[in-house]
Amino acid sequence: MKNEVIGALSISNELINRYPWLPSLKTIYKDIGEKPPTEFISEIFSNNNSFQIANRVLKIFEAAFNNMEEISDYTIDNLNVHVYLLLKIILYALNNKVITNRAANLYSKNAYNDMERENSISNIYDICHDLDLKINFYDPPEPFGLKIIKDNREKLKANFSIHYIDYLKLASNLRDEYRKLTNNTLINGHVFVQNKTLIRLIQEYVRNKLLSEETDDKASLKSFIKEASKIQGFKVLYDKIFSLWEKRKEEFDFTFKLDIGSKEKMVLLLPPCVIEILKKAEEGQNLVHHERLYIVWLLLALEYPVEYVVNIFSTLPDFDREKTTYQVEYAKRKNYTPYQCSTLKSLGLCMADKYKDELCLTGYGSQDPSERKKLKHPLGYVRIKKYRSDRGEEYQKYLAKRELEESEKPNE
Amino acid sequence: MSDITYLKRLFQAYYQEEQKTFPQVSSFNLREFGFIPWEKKVYMKRHVKFEHPKELSDYLLRDTPRHLYSSGSVYLVPDAREMENKNYQGCDLIIDIDVDHFYTPCKEKHDLWYCKECDAEGTGMPEKCPECKKSKFSKLNWVCDDCLNIAKNEIKKLIYNFLIPDFGISEEDMRIAFSGHRGYHLKVESEELRILNSDERREIVDYLTGDNISFDLLGLIDKTGVIHGLLKENLGWSQKIMRKVEELLHKPKTEIEKMLLDENQFGFKQNYATSFLNYKDDFLELITKGERNVWAIEGFGLTMWKKFLKEIVKQVGIELDEPVSIDIHRLIRYPGSLHGKTGFKVQEISLKELEDFNPLDEVNEKLDPIVFTSKKNLTRKLEITENTIPMTKIKGVEYGPYSKGEIIDVPHHIAVFLLCKEVAKSI
Repeated sequence: MKNEVIGALSISNELINRYPWLPSLKTIYKDIGEKPPTEFISEIFSNNNSFQIANRVLKIFEAAFNNMEEISDYTIDNLNVHVYLLLKIILYALNNKVITNRAANLYSKNAYNDMERENSISNIYDICHDLDLKINFYDPPEPFGLKIIKDNREKLKANFSIHYIDYLKLASNLRDEYRKLTNNTLINGHVFVQNKTLIRLIQEYVRNKLLSEETDDKASLKSFIKEASKIQGFKVLYDKIFSLWEKRKEEFDFTFKLDIGSKEKMVLLLPPCVIEILKKAEEGQNLVHHERLYIVWLLLALEYPVEYVVNIFSTLPDFDREKTTYQVEYAKRKNYTPYQCSTLKSLGLCMADKYKDELCLTGYGSQDPSERKKLKHPLGYVRIKKYRSDRGEEYQKYLAKRELEESEKPNE
Repeated sequence: MSDITYLKRLFQAYYQEEQKTFPQVSSFNLREFGFIPWEKKVYMKRHVKFEHPKELSDYLLRDTPRHLYSSGSVYLVPDAREMENKNYQGCDLIIDIDVDHFYTPCKEKHDLWYCKECDAEGTGMPEKCPECKKSKFSKLNWVCDDCLNIAKNEIKKLIYNFLIPDFGISEEDMRIAFSGHRGYHLKVESEELRILNSDERREIVDYLTGDNISFDLLGLIDKTGVIHGLLKENLGWSQKIMRKVEELLHKPKTEIEKMLLDENQFGFKQNYATSFLNYKDDFLELITKGERNVWAIEGFGLTMWKKFLKEIVKQVGIELDEPVSIDIHRLIRYPGSLHGKTGFKVQEISLKELEDFNPLDEVNEKLDPIVFTSKKNLTRKLEITENTIPMTKIKGVEYGPYSKGEIIDVPHHIAVFLLCKEVAKSI
C-alpha cells in the first residue's frame, strides 16, 4: 500500500536533535534561529555546557583534519543543535574551501551512519518530508524487480520511491554509474530507491548545506570575526581550530604549490574537464570514483610521474598515501586509456560549457564551422593545444584572420 | 521582383492574416526572441524581447524575418546581450526530433550529397565520402512522408513509452509542434522541470536515448562462464529491452536474419546470425517462461550479448537531437511561424491530433502547415538551378524529379517550397 501521510506532519524535537540540519530546526528552535550569530555565540559561551559544546565542535575539526571516517564520541542529545550551529558559524568564519569540504564530508558521512542505524523507517520518511522531497512510502515494500542467479530467485523491493527531479538534484554530483537515471527504475515520475540509496542522497543534501557557508563577502566576514572574537570562548575555540589547521596544512601544502606548472606549463594545455577536477582537489572537495580514475589515467597518459599524481589526492578527505600510491602505480602498469569526450559527457564530467572552452565547443580544423572536426578525446585536446602553443605567434595571426573572415561570412 | 522579395512579401501577408490568431507562448515577456532575416550577409539577430504579442506582430509585419525563434528559457532581462546578465529563471524541457540527425532508409532515395574534395556524388547520409574518405560535403536534404512518419513515430514513442509512463508528465504540460521541415518539437512546460541544470537534463536525455546504459547494472553478468541476462520483470529499461527482444524473436526467421546482418542494425557476421537463429526458439521460451535466466547461445560471450543489446537499446530509445535538450540557452522555432527553408508553418498539434496528423497532406485545414496553397489554382514558372532535385510529393501529388535548367510550371505552394529550398528561380 502506498502511504504518503505516514508520520507526523511536524517533525519531533528528538529527530531535530539528532539531525539538526533539517529545515524544521528554524521553527522548532525559533528562539535560536532568530538570534543574530554573535548573540547566539555569546549565549553559548555563557551557559554551563559551553565547554562541552566547544569540545565537540573541536573534535569534528580534529577528525576532519585527520582523514577520519567518523566523528569519535559523537553524541546525540539536545546539545547537538548547538554543536551543529556553532560548526556552521566556525566554517563561515574560517571561510576556507579545503576546511569546509573536509568538515562537510565528514559531518555528512556521520549523518549517513546515524540514519543507517535508524530503527524506525518512518523516521526516514519524516526526514524526507521535512526536506520537502517528493517521495512515496510503501508498507509493505513495493516489488520493482527480480534477481535470478542459478536457482535463487530474489524479489527486489523498496520502501521508497523519490520524484525524479529531487533524485536528479541530489544525485547530480554523485557521478557513479549506478546512480544514473538510466540504470534505475523510474515509474510514473518516481525512482525506486533502496533505503541506503535514499540515505546517501540525503547525505548529499547535508554536505551541500554545509558547503553553502562559504562566502565571497570579505568585508562582512571581517567585521563578524572582529565582533565574535570579543567573546572569549569563541576566540579560544577559533584559534585552536586555526592552529590545528596551520599544523596540518603543511601536509597538504605541496599540493597547493603543485600548480602542474613545472611540467612545461602543461596546465595551459589541459582541457577544462581536467582543470575542474584539479580545482576540486585543490579545494579539498571529495572526488567521485570516475573523477579519480579519469584524472589518474589522463595524467599518466601525459607521462606525469606517479608521485606527482599521488600528490593531487593528498587534500582529499579520505587520502591514504600508501593506498593511493599502490593504486596509481597499478594504473600505470595497466596503461589504461582515459575516458573519451562522450563518456565524460555522460558522466557529467565534461566542462566545455561551464568553461566556455572554444576548442571543446567548436572543434578544430577548417574555418567553415560545418566542416570543423569535433574533439573526441581529451588527449586530442592536449595535442592540439600543444601544436597551437608551439606555433605561437603564427597561430595568433591565423586566429585573427579567421575571426575577421568569420565576421564577414554571410548567413546560411 | 527578386525571389527573396517575393517570398518575404508572401511571409508578410501570412503574418498579416494570422496576426489575430497568432500563438502566444507562455511567459511571453520573459522569453528571448531571435530572427534570421532574408538578407544573406546578416547573422541571426538575438537578444530581443517583446512585452506584448502585439509588439511581435508589428515586428513580423515590419521586418518579416525568414525564421523566427524564441527561447526555451525564461529570463528577467531577456534582451541582455550577455547570458550572465539575462537573469536566468529556468528553462522548459525541449525535445527536438529531426530526421536530419539520424538514418532513415528513405534518405537513400532523396538526400543528395556532393563531395567538394573529389567531385563524387550520391544519395543517403554517409559520414565520409566513400571515394576520398574526406567529409567536405555539400548536401541537399529533402522531405517525404516516410521520414516524417518515422519522426512522428519517434515522438509517439517518446510520449507513450517514456514521458507519460516513466516521467509521469501529463498531457497538459506537453506542447507538440511540427517543425516546418523534417521533424517535431516537444516542449514540456512545468515549473518543477524548469529548475533543472544542464547536467541534470543530460541525465534525462541519456534515459530517453538509452545512451551509456550499463548492461552490467541491469543484470548482464558472466558467472564462471555462464551468462545471466536481463529480466523483463525488472521495471524500467530492463523491461523495455526485454519486450523488444521478445518482439524481435516473434518475427519470422528470414526477417530476423536480415536485421542481424544489416550493417545499419545489428551488423552481425553470418556465423553469429546463424547461431542466434539456431537458438532463437529456446531463447524465446526462456525469456517467456522466466523460470531461469541463463542466456546460452553458442559463440555468444558478454561482448556479443552487449552488441546485441546495444542495437535493441537503439531501437527502444528515442532519436533526439541531444544538444537541444541539454543547452538551456537554445532558441527554438516559434509556433505558428514559417520555416524559411520550406515555407511550411510550424504547426502546433495536440496529442489527440498527432495520430492522424499528416504534414504533407493534412486534411484538417486548421492544422495544415502548407499555408501557401492557392485557392485559385495559381501556378508559377520556375527554372531549376540545382543539378538534381528529388521527387516531391505534397498533397498527394508527385512533382519531379527535376534536373538543372528544366523549366517547370508548378502550383503556388510547390513554387514557394522550391524557392525557399533555393533550388529554383522564378522566370
